[in-house]
Amino acid sequence: MLDLLLADARTPTGGFAHSGGVEAAGLPLAQVRELVRGRLATVGLVDAAVAAAAARGEDADALEAAWAARTPAPPLRDAAARQGRALLRLADAAWPGALDGYRSRSPTTPRPVVLGLLGRRLGLDGGRVARVCLYDDAATALAAVPKLYAVDSVTVTAWLAGLAPLIDALAERAAAAATLPAPAAPLLDTRAVVHAADRRRLFIT
Amino acid sequence: MRALRIGVAGPVGTGKSSLVAAVCGALAAELELGVVTNDIYTDEDARFLRSTGVLPDDRIVAVQTGCCPHTAIRDDISENLEAAERLDAEHGPLDAIFVESGGDNLTATFSPALADVQIFVLDCAGGDDVPRKGGPGVARSDLLVINKTDLAPHVGADVERMLADSRAARGARPVLAVSLRAQDDVERLAGWVGAALASHRAGTLRSADPGPMAPHHHEHEHDGHRHSHPH
Repeated sequence: MLDLLLADARTPTGGFAHSGGVEAAGLPLAQVRELVRGRLATVGLVDAAVAAAAARGEDADALEAAWAARTPAPPLRDAAARQGRALLRLADAAWPGALDGYRSRSPTTPRPVVLGLLGRRLGLDGGRVARVCLYDDAATALAAVPKLYAVDSVTVTAWLAGLAPLIDALAERAAAAATLPAPAAPLLDTRAVVHAADRRRLFIT
Repeated sequence: MRALRIGVAGPVGTGKSSLVAAVCGALAAELELGVVTNDIYTDEDARFLRSTGVLPDDRIVAVQTGCCPHTAIRDDISENLEAAERLDAEHGPLDAIFVESGGDNLTATFSPALADVQIFVLDCAGGDDVPRKGGPGVARSDLLVINKTDLAPHVGADVERMLADSRAARGARPVLAVSLRAQDDVERLAGWVGAALASHRAGTLRSADPGPMAPHHHEHEHDGHRHSHPH
């Protein structure tokens, strides 16, 4: 059940205030699904592979460095750090002490690493953690769509359902990766930097 | 000891930002203060507060709430808590941090994990029947403010009726009818904040928690590690 809890938007770790770059892109509605597919194949895959590696027990400090090297936009690194801390706060309440050693050591707490470590502590394997990570990426971006566009939420949720084969395939790839993948999404990165300075925005990212 | 966190909620346009600015102005000489704003679509409130010059610019931070100002102060306080803790860590130790909600409806209230005490702000110009309509903020906030009394004669609002309806809904909990243009009124607000801070420091502060049923939490330091636990 715990993978469902970690993927649930009602679990209070701050996801509701993010749009996964949907707001910053300002695309026509018809292209938003492609944006989300693009996220999954790039930043989504990186995050999922990092989370899976953390769940397998790979060195968290090295993973943080590798993740940061693959996440060049400062606002995205900052947002991931804050969401990681929110997840640590949940861990404090639900599984006291589970990640104390990590928290005292890590200055950056990126969400994918925290998610992987927490998954490991909860007995979730790399594939499962990668799937939660990818699902969360797509669901966060798509949940913002009805707030930004005139579209029915069930339509958007149907789009999310349609992403299941892609998410499953990417989760498998992320969990099996011998070395961390490094696909780039320069538009997501540059838009995130511009968006962070935008004074008329609804979402943090 | 971490800063006292004071939630300020209330409908759009009732004067939350002006109240925070006035109280900060009255207290900034004696206390170290910070402000977190929750604008819905801009950093307008943060910019307004910075423009008043009552606090250094970097003591005022804006949080984006993805169209969910209500969620951001009660159901999922991650970003607000992060902002408040960061203010305290970077500029601290601070004495008090105001967390101003985005203008919302009468049911918006703070999580007890975010705000130690809550001020709910109404105004005369928004209709003098609002206290009678009630809601958790009107009935059980730690302080109810009826703002803009100076406008009452111009908009046909009956301040006495608003006070009577408020007292009927709130029992002994305090209500202040104020005009922020009157220095005496600002001093009364600052006095209430000062008293809340004294209780916080003495460890005797107990918020009424004006939200729906929620477990009571309080924060305390333990081995240099911060917990909150229900009891």
